[in-house]
Amino acid sequence: MIDTVLFLLVDGLTNGLVYALLALSLVLVFTVTRVVNIAQGEYVMLGALTLADLLQGRMPGTLYLLIGGLVLCIVLDAGRWRRDWRQALLYTTGLIVAGVAALALTRCALALHLPVIGMMLVALILVAPLGALIYRFTVHPIPNATTIVFVIISVGVSMSLQGVALLIWGANPYPVDPIAAGGLMMGPVFIPYQSFAILITALLAMGGLYVFSEFTLLGKALQASAMNRLGAQFCGIPVNMTGALAFLLAAAFSAVSGMLLAPLITANYEMGFMVGLKGFVGGAMGGLIDYPLSLVGVMIVGGLESTSAYVASAYRDVLVFSLLIPILLWRNTRSRVEARR
Amino acid sequence: MTKLLDVANLTVGYGEAIALDGISFSVARGEFVTFIGPNGAGKTTLLNNLMGVLQQKSGTVTFGGEDLKTLKPEARVARGIVIVPERRELFPGLSVEDHLRLGAFLRRREGRARMASALDRIYALLPKLKERRRQLAGTLSGGEQQMVAVGRALMAEPQLLMLDEPSTGLAPRITEEIFEAIDRLKAAGMTGILVEQNAHLALSVADRGFVLEVGNVVASGDADNLRQDPRVLAAYLGAGDRYREIATDT
Repeated sequence: MIDTVLFLLVDGLTNGLVYALLALSLVLVFTVTRVVNIAQGEYVMLGALTLADLLQGRMPGTLYLLIGGLVLCIVLDAGRWRRDWRQALLYTTGLIVAGVAALALTRCALALHLPVIGMMLVALILVAPLGALIYRFTVHPIPNATTIVFVIISVGVSMSLQGVALLIWGANPYPVDPIAAGGLMMGPVFIPYQSFAILITALLAMGGLYVFSEFTLLGKALQASAMNRLGAQFCGIPVNMTGALAFLLAAAFSAVSGMLLAPLITANYEMGFMVGLKGFVGGAMGGLIDYPLSLVGVMIVGGLESTSAYVASAYRDVLVFSLLIPILLWRNTRSRVEARR
Repeated sequence: MTKLLDVANLTVGYGEAIALDGISFSVARGEFVTFIGPNGAGKTTLLNNLMGVLQQKSGTVTFGGEDLKTLKPEARVARGIVIVPERRELFPGLSVEDHLRLGAFLRRREGRARMASALDRIYALLPKLKERRRQLAGTLSGGEQQMVAVGRALMAEPQLLMLDEPSTGLAPRITEEIFEAIDRLKAAGMTGILVEQNAHLALSVADRGFVLEVGNVVASGDADNLRQDPRVLAAYLGAGDRYREIATDT
């Protein structure tokens, strides 16, 4: 009995940590840009599939997305040439150099047969900029749109990315190697090394975000844009830049989460949506604005998921998503109490 | 004196409603002007337009010879147009010192030494901020928040400092402290636009004044002359009754 409980606890914790990275992404994006990003899970899928390609020695299909996005950026900013050709030249050259560098980096990594961790880094570098590109195409043109418009847009982004992924990778699942195979017997429970890897990576990512936002001026600028957009503009902080940065960091966190998750469930084009929604349930606990509460939320989601998988595996997802109802009720009473004060 | 800011036939509105109806004025380098007038006269609208938050319907705004029309707020800050907004627009979860550092966000590449000396200058001007430097802005009193807003604006090294109703909601003693700081800035050669409901206070600081009423400039001139202007006295200095008494006595 105690073995089972311990096993479920470890399993739940592992799931929770994966969702934690996702919840962090959601909170980061929402606080800085007011976008409830339903498409956040798609970066999980892109991270996992990119890593799968790299580990099997193929040029990852993500490069199509990246280079296509860069080209579209150049086209969208064509008007800049008339206003200030020097800046436009610098910008265009920068984007072309970035595209070529991404290609070269991928070729090098494939030629060198990097270990899994190295390939994860390369995949991260390929996927994270997609976040900033998507910000440029969807949020940047309409910064003052309402939350509901952004939700609809992000659903559209999610569907398009899934479609494009189906086109590039097909419907087959891809196996992904764990960072380290095998595991460790700790007392009565067997803990795979991958679980440790997930724990360490998640802690590093969260710690990194904390250090970045507390100890660098750019991090403070990101917080400032989240707290008061107008005030940030009055400081000369370009809010489009901080918005794109939030999207980029969020894409990076989600991609890492996908790369950690993929060895456990294999990577496929539609894996992201579910994971995204589960991160969302956890994030809802913190109202999408509170990091610590969101972490509590995802741990509850992870725990509930592994327990229900054991007790009633057919109803696993139903149970996890039902959690949203008590969470929303609880948030509602809490905000009413706050409003009354 | 050379013109720093030149506003010509500026019309600004919200949808159909016109808030500023073709006003023109200019501000020379080193000059402090003030806009006084009742609520809804268009004072804040003017500053919001100069800051780039609100587009004009027609008219031009030139700053240092450059047309500002297409510039975003952050680009205007980069050119030295900085505002102390009426609602302060602080970041409740960040400390006082964070606010000051973020005020110098666009000058972040100038190095630690310059940042430290800029901070020292602000702390010398507003000593209370130094006491509170580690405190979160959300926990400060109204007066201290106003000082943070002023300090944050100054960190950008403004060419043109715009203050929107700095005395709103503050105790007289605190208001005095803030206006002393403004006085010292002015003495140091700062160019500024001060928008105030408290006309007496505003005219005591500024070189020139404009009286704004429902989107139009109805009176303007040297601050000293404006203070003697019977219309201004009657309407904005709260001395109207006294003025009438004096008039009937003689």
